[in-house]
Amino acid sequence: MTQIALHNINKHFGAFHVINNVSLTVEDTEFVVFLGQSGCGKTTTLRAIAGLETIDSGEILIGGKPVQDTRVEERDVAFVFQNFALYPHLTVFENMAFPLRAVRTPKAQVETTVRRVADVLQIGGLLNRRPSALSGGDLQRVAIGRALVRNPKAMLMDEPIGSLDAKLREEMRVELKRLHVEQGSTTIYVTHDQIEAMALADRIVVMHAGVLQQVGAPEDVYANPVNLFVAQFVGSPVMNVADVTLAEDAGGARVTVAGATQGFAFPSALLGQVAATGPANRPLTLGVRPEAVRLTLQPAPGAVATEAHIIEPLGSHDIVDFRIGDATLRARTKAGFVPGPGVPVWVTLDHSRAHLFDTATGQTLGIRL
Amino acid sequence: MSDLAIRNLFIIPTIVFLIVFNIFPLLYSLGYSFTDFRASTNAPANFVGLDNYRTLLSDPFIWRNFTITAKYVIVSVTGQVIVGFGVAMLLNREIPFKGLLTTLLLLPMMLSMAVVGLFWKMLYDPNFGVINYALGLGKFEWLADPDMALYAIAIADIWMWSPFVMLLSLAGLSAVPKHLYEAAAIDRASGLYTFFRITLPLVAPILMIAIIFRTMEAFKTFDLAYILASQPTTEVISIRLYKMAFQEWQTGMSCALAYIVLIMVLAITNIYIKYLNKVKER
Repeated sequence: MTQIALHNINKHFGAFHVINNVSLTVEDTEFVVFLGQSGCGKTTTLRAIAGLETIDSGEILIGGKPVQDTRVEERDVAFVFQNFALYPHLTVFENMAFPLRAVRTPKAQVETTVRRVADVLQIGGLLNRRPSALSGGDLQRVAIGRALVRNPKAMLMDEPIGSLDAKLREEMRVELKRLHVEQGSTTIYVTHDQIEAMALADRIVVMHAGVLQQVGAPEDVYANPVNLFVAQFVGSPVMNVADVTLAEDAGGARVTVAGATQGFAFPSALLGQVAATGPANRPLTLGVRPEAVRLTLQPAPGAVATEAHIIEPLGSHDIVDFRIGDATLRARTKAGFVPGPGVPVWVTLDHSRAHLFDTATGQTLGIRL
Repeated sequence: MSDLAIRNLFIIPTIVFLIVFNIFPLLYSLGYSFTDFRASTNAPANFVGLDNYRTLLSDPFIWRNFTITAKYVIVSVTGQVIVGFGVAMLLNREIPFKGLLTTLLLLPMMLSMAVVGLFWKMLYDPNFGVINYALGLGKFEWLADPDMALYAIAIADIWMWSPFVMLLSLAGLSAVPKHLYEAAAIDRASGLYTFFRITLPLVAPILMIAIIFRTMEAFKTFDLAYILASQPTTEVISIRLYKMAFQEWQTGMSCALAYIVLIMVLAITNIYIKYLNKVKER
């Protein structure tokens, strides 16, 4: 049983506050993904948990024991490095045996454990090779194998598949998920790739500028982003955002994109919900994902007229760019739905999947329609 | 001038210099090694075949010189590797004034051999030498003691050439990627285990090069040993060679001895290089 808990940890690199008061509990056997841009503090946080970085203040508990002042060796966690950090002068077998030999495991046991793990990872045939003779995917398997042989309390992975090509990354993603299901070890995984995060995580932790932005199940983070940063970081293509004004109109609400002549009709409940969070006339930002934007080729009631600008055909679907007022928005449509650029289209929004954010703070208003 | 002319202008003097001062004497002395030539007389050189080689290789005194040389090489090179590599380990971290410290530590290597010899002669002096004073050894005769003299010379050599090993080791150590140490710490390896399994194997090739250089040099040592002591127990092979050539004037014989030394140095170097290639393969 290994739970990892962070209590108010802080770290500075000089004047740069790289981890800003982070608190988080990772439950036993949970797969948690730290997601954020490079430089957001996710890797530093992971390294701090492993003991490769010291922290300025706060507490790190592994299995209930405070470890922030102990050395790496005593924390008994495995770490998969982004560049794999395999020992170049040792064979695959010796690389995987290293953690066992380092703690004087009997020879026979080293032999059986390494072979068992190598079989799980399908690298049994490579045991006598050196890392320099392996492909990227195999290097990554060896690095994971070296972590798995010792049954560590927790697996920490720092962008382990970040340096692989796209196709291999997809394969390894599935493999990692399968391994986690089989081994069930508590795992913290760092990535900047939100698709990887969505695919792997039990819970996603979105970090920005050293601060935890949102912690939650992937579908929850996707559907209910707490602020504009999370809204725009998670999801591909990115969520549409536009500065809007809110007005009452004919018994309903009207949301007008800055610079537009026509607004989107919303249920009147919107006005009450916005009023409950603060003054309705403050600057607001509308956020709506491309799949919640509906295009029609004929005029529809309450639809805003515009024309298609750029069409990106992605095979299974198209992404259509169009302008409303000062904003460029994107919609996801069936493949080939809009015949070409310049075609007039009418836009409506799925109210239940529209988000409103306070422009000044970037925080969601928590509107539910 | 054409490119070719400029090229020749640069290359030809070097080639001429090399031929006149290296290649020609090398071949000429090979010829002499098969004669009974003495540079001190006007007598013509007589061809004696392999006689010189036969005499030398069956001379127990020459073998004694070789034994002394071997002992000297082993003590001196081992000492240099231990001290040089040790200091490199100490320097291979974040410390203030690291650059300055490294430069200062390299100073002994930049001095002239003769100067170092004279320094150490004073340091070892039984009457006013600072070494006896520091160690409280009274009037211990470092250089006059037949058992101690060779070690005393080796110590001076270690002082002078450890910085060379240190410099190469430092280059090797700083080339070991930091993430390997992190990986080893994650793998719960102790400091000693990490040293023997990670650090040493990865530095080995460059350390090997340092050892090759130092062995060759130590094998040929002349100046330090000549200046510091003149015991029979400190007569390394180059001193024997020098005496044979320029005190006893056995020119032909000494050429043969020089060739024997050359072949031995080549043989030792070859063994090292074979080993180096084996280490590098990894």
